[in-house]
Amino acid sequence: MFLRRLARPVMMMAKVKETTGIVGLEVVPNAREVLINLYSKTLKEIQKVPEDEGYRKAVESFTSQRLKVCQEEEDWEMIEKRLGCGQVEELIEEAQDELKLIDKMIEWDPWGIPDDYECEVIENDAPVPKHVPLHRPGPLPEEFYKTLEAVHSGTLKDAISSSKKDEPAISSS
Amino acid sequence: MDNQFIFKYSWETLPKKWVKKMERSEHGNRSDTNTDYPFQLLCFLKLHTYTRVQVSIDICGVDHPSRKRRFEVVYNLLSTRYNSRIRVQTSADEVTRISPVVSLFPSAGRWEREVWDMFGVSSINHPDLRRISTDYGFEGHPLRKDLPLSGYVEVRYDDPEKRVVSKPIEMTQEFRYFDSASPWEQRSDG
Repeated sequence: MFLRRLARPVMMMAKVKETTGIVGLEVVPNAREVLINLYSKTLKEIQKVPEDEGYRKAVESFTSQRLKVCQEEEDWEMIEKRLGCGQVEELIEEAQDELKLIDKMIEWDPWGIPDDYECEVIENDAPVPKHVPLHRPGPLPEEFYKTLEAVHSGTLKDAISSSKKDEPAISSS
Repeated sequence: MDNQFIFKYSWETLPKKWVKKMERSEHGNRSDTNTDYPFQLLCFLKLHTYTRVQVSIDICGVDHPSRKRRFEVVYNLLSTRYNSRIRVQTSADEVTRISPVVSLFPSAGRWEREVWDMFGVSSINHPDLRRISTDYGFEGHPLRKDLPLSGYVEVRYDDPEKRVVSKPIEMTQEFRYFDSASPWEQRSDG
């Protein structure tokens, strides 16, 4: 039994993915090309959104980052590891949804702030009683913080060149 | 704390026209919007890469009789990808119609029927708007504050007619007798 195992040829560089592990999500063999395609299309479409909108800054920031990583790495496994955003099939789904969203946003056209706009921001820091379990979600991917900085600061270059934020300490409850 | 990051991010990227008020707290982040926009807001939240809320947990209503737009429709949402929850609120009065979000979240069908049944806030172009929790032929919307706790009709089985009939409610006097001294030990609030 072991002899037969050893006699099998050594695996190739790019392992073929057998399954995504998620029900209903099929493996896409040429994931890298599909992703690069979708991201370039997204970057083209987002030009229609007016400049200076937080949405456009955010989309440009993370799409160009993901596109960069996809173009640098050949292997789907390396892409997944570097991005830290889940499997490539999930990334494909997210990119497709984002394209749909951009279409809808252009159709609805909600940009611009009306003159009499006032928004009430409530920062409620009331402490939660100790016996209530607090919601502690897991850590977010790194590029999320970079995107957040891009949206705050204003330009893409600032976000990429500035250091990324420290990951918040998750206390184990 | 990551929950707050997602919420702050959504605050920055959402078009400002949609959001009227937002509250960030450990008790639950929520954002308030106008009646025209809940469908669009929820579509954004569902499809955008960094706020993937694919699950609608609940849609319910709140009645504030003192306000002009007395009902508040609350959408509770969950993002399984980022493990964060967000609440979206809309205010409406008796005749306003909300756009249905069933095309985005199929589970919302039942919640919207419930909001219609309990409060009377109806939806435009809803695929299936029927009563869901009240009796057939019930008039009125139970969870409004002006409908009394025991309602207006009571049902009983009528033997000569061999069916259940509904009659106006008769509350016996004992039901309305409030004994302020509690059966337990002396309590100050009673």
